[in-house]
Amino acid sequence: MSAEAEQSTDHGHGLPPASSVKRWLVTTNHKDVGILYTVTALFFLVFGGVLALLMRIQLWTPGEGFLAAVSYNQAVSAHGLIMIFWFLSPFAFGFANYVVPLQIGARDLAFPRLNALSYWLYLFSGILFGVSFFQGGTFAGGWTMYAPLNIPVYTPNIGASTAVLALVLFVASVTVSSVNFLTSMHRMRAEGMTLRRMPLFSWTILLTVWMMLFAFAALLAALLILSSDRLLGTQYFAATDAGGSLLWAHLFWFFGHPEVYIVFFPALGVMAETFQTFTGRRIVGRKWFIAAMVLVALQSFVVWMHHMFLTSINLQIKTLFMATTIGISLPFDLMVFALIYTLIKGRVRFTTPFLFSFGALVLFIIGGITGVFLGAVVLDYEFRGTYWVVAHFHYVMVGGVTALFGGLYYWFPKMTGKMYDEFLGKVHFALYFVGFNLLYFPMFLAWETPRRDFVYPEAFVSLHQLSTVGGFILGASFLVMFYNLSKSLLVGEEAGDNPWAYSVTTEWALPSPPPLENFPGRPTFETGMLEFRRGPGGTERSGVEAADGGEPTADGGEPSTDGGAAYVAEIEAESGHDEDHASPWPFAIGLASFVALLGFSGLQQGGFPTGLSGGFYAGLTGGGLVLLGWTLVRLARERFNGPVGPFGESWPFENVENTKLGVWLFLASDVVLFGAFIGSYVFIRVAHGWTDWHDLIPEAHVVLPGLINTYLLLTSSFAVVLALVAAERESRWGLVASLGLTFALGVAFLVNKALEWLHLFDLHGGAFAGGWLPSTNVASSTFYLTTGLHGLHVIAGLFISLYLIARAWGGAYLDDERPVEYFGLYWHFVDIVWLFLFPLFYIL
Amino acid sequence: MSKLKLYTAIYVVLFVLATGQTLVEFAGLDYWVGLWVILGLSFVKALFVAVYYQHLRWEPRSVSFVMLVGLLAALALTIAASYSIL
Repeated sequence: MSAEAEQSTDHGHGLPPASSVKRWLVTTNHKDVGILYTVTALFFLVFGGVLALLMRIQLWTPGEGFLAAVSYNQAVSAHGLIMIFWFLSPFAFGFANYVVPLQIGARDLAFPRLNALSYWLYLFSGILFGVSFFQGGTFAGGWTMYAPLNIPVYTPNIGASTAVLALVLFVASVTVSSVNFLTSMHRMRAEGMTLRRMPLFSWTILLTVWMMLFAFAALLAALLILSSDRLLGTQYFAATDAGGSLLWAHLFWFFGHPEVYIVFFPALGVMAETFQTFTGRRIVGRKWFIAAMVLVALQSFVVWMHHMFLTSINLQIKTLFMATTIGISLPFDLMVFALIYTLIKGRVRFTTPFLFSFGALVLFIIGGITGVFLGAVVLDYEFRGTYWVVAHFHYVMVGGVTALFGGLYYWFPKMTGKMYDEFLGKVHFALYFVGFNLLYFPMFLAWETPRRDFVYPEAFVSLHQLSTVGGFILGASFLVMFYNLSKSLLVGEEAGDNPWAYSVTTEWALPSPPPLENFPGRPTFETGMLEFRRGPGGTERSGVEAADGGEPTADGGEPSTDGGAAYVAEIEAESGHDEDHASPWPFAIGLASFVALLGFSGLQQGGFPTGLSGGFYAGLTGGGLVLLGWTLVRLARERFNGPVGPFGESWPFENVENTKLGVWLFLASDVVLFGAFIGSYVFIRVAHGWTDWHDLIPEAHVVLPGLINTYLLLTSSFAVVLALVAAERESRWGLVASLGLTFALGVAFLVNKALEWLHLFDLHGGAFAGGWLPSTNVASSTFYLTTGLHGLHVIAGLFISLYLIARAWGGAYLDDERPVEYFGLYWHFVDIVWLFLFPLFYIL
Repeated sequence: MSKLKLYTAIYVVLFVLATGQTLVEFAGLDYWVGLWVILGLSFVKALFVAVYYQHLRWEPRSVSFVMLVGLLAALALTIAASYSIL
């Protein structure tokens, strides 16, 4: 699009032109955010890739050499963390941000500012991780961060704590993003865009965000507990207590195995889309393909213990998880055969995106088969901790990445309007594929090399040298890609709306790049064709027939569509929208979170050390928290018009308004967060001996404070109910009084808790002469941390209630009580959590 | 019954159940029987809050289903992890 056209479409939405830096700091448009994700993820690819090359140089000969031992450990750990968290998923989510709203016929995501917030939390979490290198070195205990290596006794650097906190911030980004995508994809599909018709890439993203919502909550629990062990001195993962290291493994892998599919599914989506486009054939067995993916998404939550076959878990559970692991490979067989059969039935065109997707399929098959070895308990005894594992998961993970690069070439013309150089694209693929196999295949042969170690038997030297050569070829292949894409961006040929024949998804029916509002009117797929509704009675038909890849054609060779080349529209005149696309606050909140967490990294045993450095970290924490509070209020106060309905297809949440659904989805992830905290408590108590637990608790820890707090919270819940009734009856003072009562009861809850804690801290004599502190034993750790997390939820709720009171005082919510209702959903949830914490921590 | 009366009645029920839950400890039951009674009461109270105060009863079934999935995930983790070390 020309600069002038862009200026005109952006007119009135507060969004500066794409050439200005400010645009990229304030944009909330899903396409801009998609580009930001893609570019940032590529930066982290280079970051993680350089670390990998440092490792490969070290491994040229066995033993210490190029890097110091601890530097090697840092490189190994940081490489894994950066690639998995800061490159792989965000790279896929660049495409998801850009393409999914287009594919489902939405103008933007449901909460555009939260989408921008996800991005800025992601970027700042990555920067925070980068900072950790300069705080005495980053985390060096491996990407899986196994206990007890993850506690300060073994990894004492401040940088190691910062790395953990960076992950916490990253999970915050993922959670916000999951809620946003789920709300958008379930609520905002255009008419006729039923789930049955939804394109496969969008399907993979939908399943990915469902998995993310629950899996990342478990990781958040693990990371918060670890942060507490590192910063506050709690004892969950301490080496001296039973179950500590196993608890980490359970929490981490409960997240970690779904994570494998979280990173792989988008790649599968790209494969499905590109296979369809470049074979001119609808995927074979589409329905079964989708069913298989749904099955995998569910099964992914019941296979995690196959990562723990070498721990002391019992044989019965190992056997059970071996069976579930074999079970999860079956739906994948179906998907692989569907893809292969699509190739056979169609007429293949070997473009760059197809080559990468096809390469990905080949690599994934090798990765998948070698993984089945690890799923068998007996074989795993031999393979665990060796380069077999390293080779296997790189074939799976980087196999997935291969398809994502296919996606980059596939959507590059749509995102930029320019065509890349096909020859250079193929050169990239050739170098990539050769480099990949030269890098990872020798690892299968040298499998007896111990994982994460730079000392290995002399017999494997030549294999490791081959690997290193392959690593550099793989790295160099990206130089070709960066050259190709940057040159094309500047002087490439115009790509046109649809450079690919046979593509059938909606994005190809729009200009490249699509205008800010995506569609010239309200898109509808009601007739099986993409059409646009523009005012009473008027529709315009585009060339896209059906978004799901169209009906299968008998010989696989006939085009089902011209890909929407017919689309020409005067956007500004036709769409008549009034949505906003700019807000400075997501960036500001990201920055504030960064500063606050950097401050927290200086905590040791619950306090900041004395001296200059302690003061520096304390200042950052205080300043960051104040800034965070202020920016959050500014975001809440900002007038911002997001997309409004009516939306078309909203199954299965037809009558649940977007914000309400967003709150419920957030609460669902919070259920898993608290569930994992409670699960950790139960696990540690079982490990310790359930009834022996009482020996760890002082006599002074009595039921009464807990019971009083139960009464207080129940009453405060009732007060919120009264507030909603008052708002519905348009009683301004009734609303203010009820919310005020809620606030007062919440404060009373916290005061009661503070008195109880101070009393327990200050015990003298008996078994707990030094007081019953968070660091005293595992029982005190679980008590203070779990009820403390709940207390933080109460504090957050009190801030929200203060905000509501201030607004209600001014007469708000009488005509629209929904904010009070949504606050109530949160507050009642906090109440429900306490209903379980009270018996678990006070009675039993 | 008006909604306000219903909400008030539920508040009274919750208050009584919370008190009852605390008294179970002193009822002289076997520890494990008492444990399940106490946890059962927590689930009952939670259900009352979720169904009435959070209006799940008047929302589409799909919302309850999402929350149930979250709960199942948490239970799967807790039960399977604890079983693995028995």
